[in-house]
Amino acid sequence: MQYSAGPTFSEGLLLAQASLTPSFLLEQVFNGLVRGGFYALLALGLSIIFGMLRIVNFAHGAMYMLGAFVAYEGALQFHLPFFAALIVAPIVVAAFGLLIETLLLRRLYNLDPLYNLLFTFALVLVIEDAMRLQFGALGSPYEMPALLSGQTNLGLFAYPTYQLFVIVVSILVCLAVYLVVERSPLGARIRAATENPELTRAFGINTSRLVSGVFAFGVGLAAFAGVLNAPYTNVTPSMGDSIIISTFAIVVIGGLGSLRGSIVTAFALGVIQALGAVFYPPIANTLIFIVMVLVILFKPSGLFGTTERAA
Amino acid sequence: MKFFRPQMALAVMAAMLLPIGAPVRTGAADTTPVKIALITDMSGIYASLSGEGAAVATKMAVADFGGKVLGRPIEVDVIDHRNDAQGSAVKAREALDNGADLLLDMTNSGVALADAAVAKEKHKLAIVTGAASSALTGANCNKYTYHYAYDTYALASSTGRNIARQADAKTWYGIVPNYAFGTQMLADFTAAIKPEGAKFVHADMIPPGSADFSAFLLSAKNSGAQVLGVLNAGADTVNTMKQVKQFGIDKQMKIAVGLLFLTDVDALPDVFAGSRITTSWYWNEDKAARAWADRFTKARGQGLRPSDIQASDYSATIQWLNAVKAVGSTDADKIVAYLDGRQFNDFYVHGGEWRARDHRVTHDMYVVDVIPKEQIKEPHAWFKIVQTIAPGRAFRPESQSTCKKDW
Amino acid sequence: MTLAVIAGRGGLFVGLALLAIGLALPYLVYPVFAIQLVCFALVAVSFDLLLGFTGLLSFGHAMFFGGAGYVATILIARVGWTSFPAAVAAAVLYALVLSLAVGAVAVRRSGIYFAMVTLAIAQVQFFVAYELADLTGGENGIQIVTRGSLFGFSLENDRVFYYLALLITVLGVLFAIRVVSSPYGAVLAAMRENEQRARSIGYDTNRFKLGAFVMSGTLAGLAGAMFAIGNRLSGLDSVDWHLSGKIVMMTILGGIGTIFGPIVGAGLFESLEYYLSKGPLGDKTNFAMGLIFAAIILIARRGIVGEILHRVFASRRRLIEDEENPDRLIVGPLG
Repeated sequence: MQYSAGPTFSEGLLLAQASLTPSFLLEQVFNGLVRGGFYALLALGLSIIFGMLRIVNFAHGAMYMLGAFVAYEGALQFHLPFFAALIVAPIVVAAFGLLIETLLLRRLYNLDPLYNLLFTFALVLVIEDAMRLQFGALGSPYEMPALLSGQTNLGLFAYPTYQLFVIVVSILVCLAVYLVVERSPLGARIRAATENPELTRAFGINTSRLVSGVFAFGVGLAAFAGVLNAPYTNVTPSMGDSIIISTFAIVVIGGLGSLRGSIVTAFALGVIQALGAVFYPPIANTLIFIVMVLVILFKPSGLFGTTERAA
Repeated sequence: MKFFRPQMALAVMAAMLLPIGAPVRTGAADTTPVKIALITDMSGIYASLSGEGAAVATKMAVADFGGKVLGRPIEVDVIDHRNDAQGSAVKAREALDNGADLLLDMTNSGVALADAAVAKEKHKLAIVTGAASSALTGANCNKYTYHYAYDTYALASSTGRNIARQADAKTWYGIVPNYAFGTQMLADFTAAIKPEGAKFVHADMIPPGSADFSAFLLSAKNSGAQVLGVLNAGADTVNTMKQVKQFGIDKQMKIAVGLLFLTDVDALPDVFAGSRITTSWYWNEDKAARAWADRFTKARGQGLRPSDIQASDYSATIQWLNAVKAVGSTDADKIVAYLDGRQFNDFYVHGGEWRARDHRVTHDMYVVDVIPKEQIKEPHAWFKIVQTIAPGRAFRPESQSTCKKDW
Repeated sequence: MTLAVIAGRGGLFVGLALLAIGLALPYLVYPVFAIQLVCFALVAVSFDLLLGFTGLLSFGHAMFFGGAGYVATILIARVGWTSFPAAVAAAVLYALVLSLAVGAVAVRRSGIYFAMVTLAIAQVQFFVAYELADLTGGENGIQIVTRGSLFGFSLENDRVFYYLALLITVLGVLFAIRVVSSPYGAVLAAMRENEQRARSIGYDTNRFKLGAFVMSGTLAGLAGAMFAIGNRLSGLDSVDWHLSGKIVMMTILGGIGTIFGPIVGAGLFESLEYYLSKGPLGDKTNFAMGLIFAAIILIARRGIVGEILHRVFASRRRLIEDEENPDRLIVGPLG
């Protein structure tokens, strides 16, 4: 039932244009960077796992949610402070991921990669429902750490301190991960192991341990994003549900397997979404998919992708 | 039809000749149970608001009534709608075909609308308590559905009007979820604040389930409006309010929260402290309410206090059973004839009427403030009543009803 | 493995057994639920056509199922159509055109990319359904009062409608069988085995993929139209990506590449969900479904019917499996 009692789209546009000061727009860009930061951490983990392991981890969103809940439970039961949770939660979730990988996922490696997509899809149902049964669907409150609450004066405007923290941390972490994977000896070994496991093993490198480690690290990144998100929004069992398909879209747009693509696309799309929300809010969530369809049409391997990885 | 296989054709024709349709229930079935189908959300987002507590309340009502009506035992069947409108419609249909006489609760507007349509089709009664959509007594009104507890109009006209009366609350900015509930809320609030000389300068139609309201809240702050209308529900409201406090918006604008329940505040007291909202009932509003609430808490356990929806389920059950007794049957047409225009009172409904025009059940509504955690006098005592709105003001006037009454 | 089985005596036996169950169904379960079962059986078969026989995993089939459902209910509720065949025909036409458009974009890719593209476009349709709330009822959906009439015969009776839906489903399944055992199907099989080789022989593989996609999408639309009219309502749930996921699960549960497997899979999956959600385990339904599906993927990848066929026919050495890739997602046909 559509009521046109409120201002129409065009009225809203005029209004928006009227208040489009540079500082307002800049503030929205910052909002977009915050969003992009979450997307980037998630897309990075997903991209690493796919690029290196050919695993399409549908459960990535669930890992993100688990990270937030570990932080919540940690605070509740052990008075775990936020900054400690940023380290503890990823480790806990990474351990969980390791368990899943070694016990279950490993059996699907010889098969078509679509099988692990389906398996991880089933995993989402199990994990999310289990969490909902345990914690309820309404959500659990996670307090903003006192150190980061309030606003910081940035000259042009005052911006919430916590959001600034998110932007800085996500950029730093993404950079660090990128450098390690692309430039360090460890990263080289990982890349070798996935491109040519036989040869790498011949060199005496334990490839299956590398693979497990990479998977655990990838989901650990997701959990990290989850903890970052906990003070910002509600911690609910379904918080990973909506973000997972957007993350997939970002990874595809950036180019499956391209870390740089994932990071850049994530931040860019976050900003585009925030700006899009100013002009026509309803489209905000769907913008990513529209962009994805366009990219697939015109640059099928993704913006930064090079070769098509045959599935 | 040359595509028919002979076997198939025979099968179809045979099936058509078989006696089809369930046997007709006659009122002369004297000892078969009277069944109430409680359709609620047992484990999703509405589980605390309705859910298990609604089952407790309804069963309490049946027990208080004596467990029997017209010499027949009363049964309460709890159906979990799982927030799936299509699935619930099938289950409602099945329940009615299996002898249910009343559909109750349906907390979730999509579910309520779907199930109300089923009730109309089967000529059985549906009393909707927990859903918000005023379409139930508007474009989707029907003879066999009553809307019992609250609706978007009541929320708007109470909260909206109360706040807009203030001299510095004439320009509003809307945070509105982009679905039927949201558009309805926006329309109802716009109409409610107009007589006070207030209006919405802008409203953002935001996809529901968005976790991030920063862009819109910033726009709100930037617009210079005096009031922020938070017209969403559930998790969206929580996220919005969290971010409102973060951006310090509550220091610059007044905050009107469209929809909030006691159970939401239970879950997240800090986020909602200081909000002004409307409710159809508060467990501590007077002696009678408190007496009932104490009995409910004993039955429910864990010291949990009833939400207004759970209380409404009890009230609606008792009122319906009274009607069944008075009319001498569970026949929906007779009960509608009995209820239409009838006025009544109980611990939940003050100044109530089963409005004949559009099947809106009207009664007093209450504007309340949410008390901060540090100041409450006992657990769950979150509300302080600041204004009681009479039904004539609270609900959409009959003259403005869009219900095309076809009965 | 399965082509010879489907087209031969084994297939006839299984098919007749399923038909017998289908004929008795409205007396075994609640008729409206039975309607749901046949509709999902048809959409699962349509999905199998695409995944099992063409090797393309679509994660957006809900756009055909739900989209067609919307078209049918919108025509009845908003425009006032009263003819069931007309509403269904329009809905199927919508599905056909949509699958043509989507297919043209999607088939250029394969594997995970293909899945993501279908998901993305399905999301866009979801958004459109949301936005056009005047038309689609938005979050509240559309309820229709009548199922329309079939050449003068009323379809309001649930059992009558069920048998009509069963008939349509049977025809749809027969069509699918016809396709896979035809020369067209043989080319699809060849493409699935080795696309390069098929192309080098001269087949325009993209054309064939598009054809399969359109057939799959159209059949899914037919199922969706029947579902919406049968249930007398259409809502956002039917264009949601979770439904696409359900369709994938039920098809794999039954056994891809077997046509009859998905029918069994759909029946089992829907029944499990329905009865689980009514029982004491009600609030753990998703949990249970997820566990079952995960177990199937790990242990019984071929799905129920697939495993049965494998054991029954492999032991009699009537199978020549693809030896190079014994664990490929799609099992190859008999020689």
